[in-house]
Amino acid sequence: MKQIFVRPDRCMACKGCETACAVQHSADKTLFSAVLQSPPPMKRLFVEAAEGIRMPVICRHCEDAPCLRACISGCLYRDDHGFVRRRKERCIGCWTCIMLCPFGVITRDREKHIAVKCDRCHRLDVPACVNACPTRALVMAEPEEVAADRRQKAVRAESGG
Amino acid sequence: MNYIIIGGGIAGITAAKAVRRRDAQAEITMISAEKTCPYYRPLIPLLIEKGDADVTYAEDPISEYKINLLQDRVVRVALQERDVVLASGKRPGFDKLLIATGSRPVIPGIEGISGPGIYTLRTVDDALRINAAVQGVKKAAVIGGGFVGIKAALALIRRGIEVIIIEQLGQILSRRLDARGAEIVSEALARRGIKIMTGSPVSRITHDSGRITVRLESGSTTEAGLVVVAAGVRPDIEAFRDSGIKTGRGILVGETLETNVPGIYAAGDVVEFRDLLTGRPCVSGLWSNAEEMGRIAGSNMAGDRIKFEGFLPVMNAADIAGIPLVSAGIIEPVEEGHETVTDDRPGRYRRLVFRGDRLEGALFIGDVRNAGIYVNLIKNRIPLGGLKEKAASGDLQYVHFIKTPQPGRLAV
Ligand SMILES: Cc1cc2nc3c(=O)[nH]c(=O)nc-3n(C[C@H](O)[C@H](O)[C@H](O)COP(=O)(O)OP(=O)(O)OC[C@H]3O[C@@H](n4cnc5c(N)ncnc54)[C@H](O)[C@@H]3O)c2cc1C
Repeated sequence: MKQIFVRPDRCMACKGCETACAVQHSADKTLFSAVLQSPPPMKRLFVEAAEGIRMPVICRHCEDAPCLRACISGCLYRDDHGFVRRRKERCIGCWTCIMLCPFGVITRDREKHIAVKCDRCHRLDVPACVNACPTRALVMAEPEEVAADRRQKAVRAESGG
Repeated sequence: MNYIIIGGGIAGITAAKAVRRRDAQAEITMISAEKTCPYYRPLIPLLIEKGDADVTYAEDPISEYKINLLQDRVVRVALQERDVVLASGKRPGFDKLLIATGSRPVIPGIEGISGPGIYTLRTVDDALRINAAVQGVKKAAVIGGGFVGIKAALALIRRGIEVIIIEQLGQILSRRLDARGAEIVSEALARRGIKIMTGSPVSRITHDSGRITVRLESGSTTEAGLVVVAAGVRPDIEAFRDSGIKTGRGILVGETLETNVPGIYAAGDVVEFRDLLTGRPCVSGLWSNAEEMGRIAGSNMAGDRIKFEGFLPVMNAADIAGIPLVSAGIIEPVEEGHETVTDDRPGRYRRLVFRGDRLEGALFIGDVRNAGIYVNLIKNRIPLGGLKEKAASGDLQYVHFIKTPQPGRLAV
């Protein structure tokens, strides 16, 4: 199955992915109404920058997901596609998932008092963030393609190319 | 292979799933002393507010993982016969056994602490009993200012009765909060109308036709129609004391979570094992640790050799009276050699405890964004290297752990 991969060297920190994510998770899913929505819709990924690097940090839907494993209320579950999703009505806002996510990609919806996380735009073929990225810093790829890409790069690096 | 799992809490359920994933043919029998099984124990305060709140699993693991569930109580393990003796008199035999009996409330040795109107909060039945008892009560006293006591208090105040928390130490949530943190949380509880009395232990409880009087050593007294004793928990090792299975405060295990008896494992609250940071033996009392131990014990029972390194006895997330908080590791160091950084702003308090190149404690109150990055550093004892200053500033993000990317490379 295709997964989202991040290519930090291409990221311009334009935050188009953040906006697209918030819009996708807004009531009407249009930029116009998302801007007017109060409270504003929440993004599920975060463009972060440090010295020499910029990149969107996304939920990995980890195979061994600490958030899912430790959920004390039965809210988080893995859907048929393998995505870690919420049964929203079960979230009690205990923040255990936030405590255990090593990527920092789960946040609080203060209004609804529930945890918010990436649902991988499970209804879309291509997630909104990937679709919005103008530099293709976010791409969909099979994990095997990435492994092959890495091998290729490694060979090129070794042979000085 | 015949597996018996004693206890259907999160440790027992997770272990059963792990066994089933590795062994499709396994006979898995779970013995649960509780009639409601399995359920999300941390949700039971909801039952105090609303007797019919749903605390059960959305997808029933008992049928999904083909577990034979027996509602019964194990009274003894017979090592020679390799079977367990049940209260009903049945004696199912096992090849592999898991002790996942969890913990039970500590009842301090105080005169008058048992009797009508006095409850603990550990099980669905406990919560339902409290739910029923609130009717007609004007005031409740909660003995113990830990998380369970506070959650009981918050549930009771929502039922519209007066609530007072009595904590013998100088602050609530000791070990999990420092004095400033306790002050912030106490203020939030006070805003919800909960009274808190700290600094004096209960000396005696007297009963007078339904009216309960809690007397403190300081001399003050509190009258209540209902008392919840929430003075902590201890491993439930009753049935194993003289069995030949080694016990201390809890069931003693090695790194694979096997006890001294081959084929017999333990997981969850019942276990006594080492504190990840101090290396000293301790008990956990936490859901996430029980889940992890259950998974490792179950896998190992079915043939794996996964090692368990230990746990953090403090690793809590909560929302108390509208204030989110995360507390992990060592918050108030008692040993030398720790550096502490605090950051106290309106609406946000942080305390970070370092030892050399490692983070050993983190307290986030009011704003828990990225708390997981910090907890991960503590739990996995990751050397900070050049990131210590960044960590101390409280602004650490995931990106700080990424090395400068090579051009064209796909990073995950
Ligand atoms: C109100 C409340 C809120 C909590 N909130 C949190 C939280 O937010 N975060 C957190 O990390 N932890 C929380 N906890 C703690 C958490 O629930 C426990 O750490 C966890 O349930 C431990 O799981 P376990 O499987 O080890 O044991 P348990 O859940 O205690 O399950 C053990 C089971 O074994 C059964 N049993 C015992 N002896 C026998 C016997 N001889 N024969 C048969 N069955 C037996 C018991 O009846 C019980 O059903 C909370 C606890 C309570 C009470």
